[in-house]
Amino acid sequence: MGPINWQTCFFFLMAAIACGAAIAVVISSNIVRMACWLVLSLAAVAGLFFLTGAEFLGAVQLMVYVGGTMVLLIFGVMLTARGPFVSMKIGAAQWVVAVIAAGALLTVLLQAAFGTFGQTQGKPIAAAGSSRELAASGNDVADAASYSPLGLGLIGVRIDRLAERDHVLRGGMSGYLLPFEIISVHLVVVLVGAAYLARARRRMVPRHWRGGEQPSGVED
Amino acid sequence: MDLNVLLPRLLALAWLLPLCSFALIVFFGPRMGRAGRYAAHVATTAIIAACVLSFASLGLWLTQHPVGAAHGAHAAAVPPHINGDWYSLGEFGSLRVTIGYYIDALTLCMFCMVTLVASCIHVYSAGYMHGELHDVFDTFGPTEEGRMIRRRGRYYRFFQCLSLFCFSMLGLVLAGNVAMVFVFWELVGICSYLLIGFWHERKSASNAANKAFIVNRVGDFGMIVGLMAVWTGMGTFSFGDYKVTKADGTVAMAPGIFSQVRPAANEHKLQIPDGMVKSAVGSQASNVLVGKSDAKAVAVAAQDIRDLSAPQKLKDWRSQGLGYGLLVIAGLGIFCGCVGKSAQVPLHVWLPDAMEGPTPVSALIHAATMVAAGVYLVGRFYPVFTPEVLMVIACIGCATLFIAATVALTATDIKRVLAYSTVSQLGFMMLALGLGGWLAGMLHLFTHAFFKSLLFLCSGSVIHACGTNEMPSMGGLRRKMPITAMTMLIGCLAIAGAGIPATVIGFSGFYSKDSIIAQDLSFWAANPRLGGWFFYAALFGAGLTAFYMFRLWYMTFAGNPRDGHVYYHAHESPSSMTVPLMILAVLAAVGAWNIPFTGGLGLQSLLQQAQPAGIADGVSGGLYWSSIAMPAQHLAHEHANAIKAEWAAFGVALVGFLLATVFYGLRKLDPADVTRAFPRLYRFLFRKWMFDELYSYCLVRPMLKISDWVAAVDRRGIDWLVDGSARAIEGIARVDDWFDRIFIDRAVNVAARWTYALGMRLRTIETGNVRQYVLWLVVATVGLFVLMSFFWSYAIAG
Amino acid sequence: MSIFCEPVGLSHYLVVSAILFVCGVLCMTTKRNVLGVLMGIELVLNGANLNFMAFGSPAICGTSTLGLDGQLIALFVIVLAAAEAAVALAIALNYYHTHATVDVDRGNELKG
Repeated sequence: MGPINWQTCFFFLMAAIACGAAIAVVISSNIVRMACWLVLSLAAVAGLFFLTGAEFLGAVQLMVYVGGTMVLLIFGVMLTARGPFVSMKIGAAQWVVAVIAAGALLTVLLQAAFGTFGQTQGKPIAAAGSSRELAASGNDVADAASYSPLGLGLIGVRIDRLAERDHVLRGGMSGYLLPFEIISVHLVVVLVGAAYLARARRRMVPRHWRGGEQPSGVED
Repeated sequence: MDLNVLLPRLLALAWLLPLCSFALIVFFGPRMGRAGRYAAHVATTAIIAACVLSFASLGLWLTQHPVGAAHGAHAAAVPPHINGDWYSLGEFGSLRVTIGYYIDALTLCMFCMVTLVASCIHVYSAGYMHGELHDVFDTFGPTEEGRMIRRRGRYYRFFQCLSLFCFSMLGLVLAGNVAMVFVFWELVGICSYLLIGFWHERKSASNAANKAFIVNRVGDFGMIVGLMAVWTGMGTFSFGDYKVTKADGTVAMAPGIFSQVRPAANEHKLQIPDGMVKSAVGSQASNVLVGKSDAKAVAVAAQDIRDLSAPQKLKDWRSQGLGYGLLVIAGLGIFCGCVGKSAQVPLHVWLPDAMEGPTPVSALIHAATMVAAGVYLVGRFYPVFTPEVLMVIACIGCATLFIAATVALTATDIKRVLAYSTVSQLGFMMLALGLGGWLAGMLHLFTHAFFKSLLFLCSGSVIHACGTNEMPSMGGLRRKMPITAMTMLIGCLAIAGAGIPATVIGFSGFYSKDSIIAQDLSFWAANPRLGGWFFYAALFGAGLTAFYMFRLWYMTFAGNPRDGHVYYHAHESPSSMTVPLMILAVLAAVGAWNIPFTGGLGLQSLLQQAQPAGIADGVSGGLYWSSIAMPAQHLAHEHANAIKAEWAAFGVALVGFLLATVFYGLRKLDPADVTRAFPRLYRFLFRKWMFDELYSYCLVRPMLKISDWVAAVDRRGIDWLVDGSARAIEGIARVDDWFDRIFIDRAVNVAARWTYALGMRLRTIETGNVRQYVLWLVVATVGLFVLMSFFWSYAIAG
Repeated sequence: MSIFCEPVGLSHYLVVSAILFVCGVLCMTTKRNVLGVLMGIELVLNGANLNFMAFGSPAICGTSTLGLDGQLIALFVIVLAAAEAAVALAIALNYYHTHATVDVDRGNELKG
């Protein structure tokens, strides 16, 4: 029995929060509660990211998901669910079927997780020390926080592959400039498209819905 | 500028102006004012400008070639002329096809006459055709089904055709070679076709147009034969001598048709052209060579061919008469075309039917253009005709004048009387030409143009006023239409040849007809054996002319109205129609007079100037029929001969006039009595000597019979084959259809039904429930994993 | 308490991601609310992201790289997820406009 590995402790804590909140999302029937649980779950995942040393990604996860995505979700909730908070239940039979299918999937996934990678034991962060090794080899950038290699990777420089002698291999492992460009254009297109889709369409809205009058009610 | 350059240009301008008008009206006719009313102005302006240009050309010509200069001493010389080419279409060996001109006094006179008469007719037409300005409800001639037709007015189209007609005729007159003559000859034909069939909705009009065209084709066939003979024998189509550039660059004069037939070296006497002699010798020799008779003859023939160009041999052959046949064929062929165009006897049937066209067209065809073309061509080609050909011309002319005059006696349609009178007068012209009276024949062509256009326009005025062609329903019209009556009277006097014998005072017909009779008389003197026939026939024809013309006048204008309705509606024509009448009446009266104070300038002296070389002394010396001789023209003008002829002509004309007065003017005798006395003769004449029946029996019926046979062969043989193959294909198609339906369709249907059933089953899978789809996705994923776990281990992850 | 003393391995992460994934799938299948389905999708994406992180991380897999590939892919996934959320919300708004509800079971026009 060695000393308590705090990293492991935090992992279990975060994992428990993430999984629990996720299960709570599934179980709860109120949409607002679901959103709250989801925020918690996502935040816990961000914590997991921090734990694996991907600080930048964790920050992004917090900002984009917990910030942006949840804001979007809540916007949606408020825009669509005008009436009293509605819950749309499903029958027990459907629950059973869904749970059985999901259980089967979980079984398969867990079997894969344990059956394949179960033996692999992680190394402590300190023991890994890859960035330090690279730093020792005279690469200052690698020593910085994780966002610098990420940013360089996005503009096409792989600092972890700089030492690769074979220029063919190095060329094949170059960075993610092209995907980055594609994804940025894609994002623009998607946002414009979303704005277009979500614009107000008067034609579709009955007259009595406007002028402050509420729709007659959204049934269950 | 030099006259040799200026005159062709002026005349070409006069010639092309109607073409411009035609083109303008073709493209812009319907847009020229309402219903194209300004098309008349365009066409009339063009033709009047052409007329002015023609007279200007004539004046210019006279400054250079005053009349009378060629009268005495140079009578045997080639008449003054200007010829040349504007444009060469192509050269085929020695043959040159060009657009050229041949201008002499005859050309100029024709130009002036044609444009003047055509101008009058244009002006007249503008009034006459005004009914075409709006929609026409054609009550005149129903269609075949008996329907009345309502159609758009075709005012502008009429003037378009008139312009083309004038262009064609002027081109024919101006042409410098026979090929060009032929082209315009056909153009004149097509124009007459268009205009005769102007009211083509009427069955009779379209039939008449077809008849005119087809009958002319018969004549043109002969003309083509003549052209081929000319080409073969003379190697040129050009009338006059023309320049040729030889291979070494020198320019030499090559003899034209006239110079070849009547070379100056032979004192312009008729001579068989070298080419004809050679071709006759060549064909004779080749016959011998092909026949392989005996060695000696073959040797002679071969030597002949070798010596073809030796002058001495040529002289020998010519004296043997070799090639004369070709010359006769050339003459007869050309004349054959003229027979068709000028409505001579076997082919005259189209002209009376051509009355179906509008009356101004009839006037144009009868006076200035169509029929004049034939006589003009005979006059132009006169040097080529041998005595035998001239004899044929005379015979045909004589028969024509006699037959047509007799038919005119019985006709009741006012235009038909005039039509037969035209045929008869054309016969007079041909007779005169055939008997050696070139001058008399051509003079009659001109005077006839004036008074016949006048007569037709008058009859048009009458028809316009009465709305009918039938003389029996007219009468007494002189009170309603004084101008028309007076001008028509002048026309009748002119055509009857009224004048005072032994003086020079008379209407234009007096001069021309008397000179024709005089020529007949002198021919009789020269050929006592058969000259009498011609003389008496001509005399009889002249008497009949006077009779039927005054019959026409009396029936139309004199006496009391026979049909009150027609009389009531009759009215004098508008001034646009009466002014041309008056102009033409003046011309018909004085057209043949010499112009005072000009030293004998007049139509006669002008034509005298154009008289072809070598015919003044008559034509004789035919090889096949050497006994006949066409007497010299001046013999006819000998005082004794001329006086005799004048009195004879005056006498018969007077008798004709008196008879007409007795029968129709004073009504002392009833013409019906005469008819009853000779019923068969009357019927024979009334049916126009049965020519139409004869042609129907000889040509049309056999043709129809043959067509029936051919049709039967078609039906029995070819149709049977076609039907049989069609039926066979139908059977195959039936089998194929059965196979299709039983096998292919069924297979397709079964497959379709299966597909449909499958689709109906499969559609139940698509519940439209998104959550269910997700569930299926999960199930599928799991299933995939499970499946994969059988075949694939996770070993790679190691 | 030995599990607290040992460093976490790949399997730990995989288990967490599997649970998140399955929760997302369950969410998708059991929620009739459009927004619930969307949340399920987010959960699924997060589970996947966690996988990428775990496989790329040098600390977990024991490789001597910086783990950039995993992080970059995860970054792209996050961006795409944001885009997807935007479009999906737009679609959900449209759906609400046309059906006056957010119940996905109502949208069965494609039923065969």
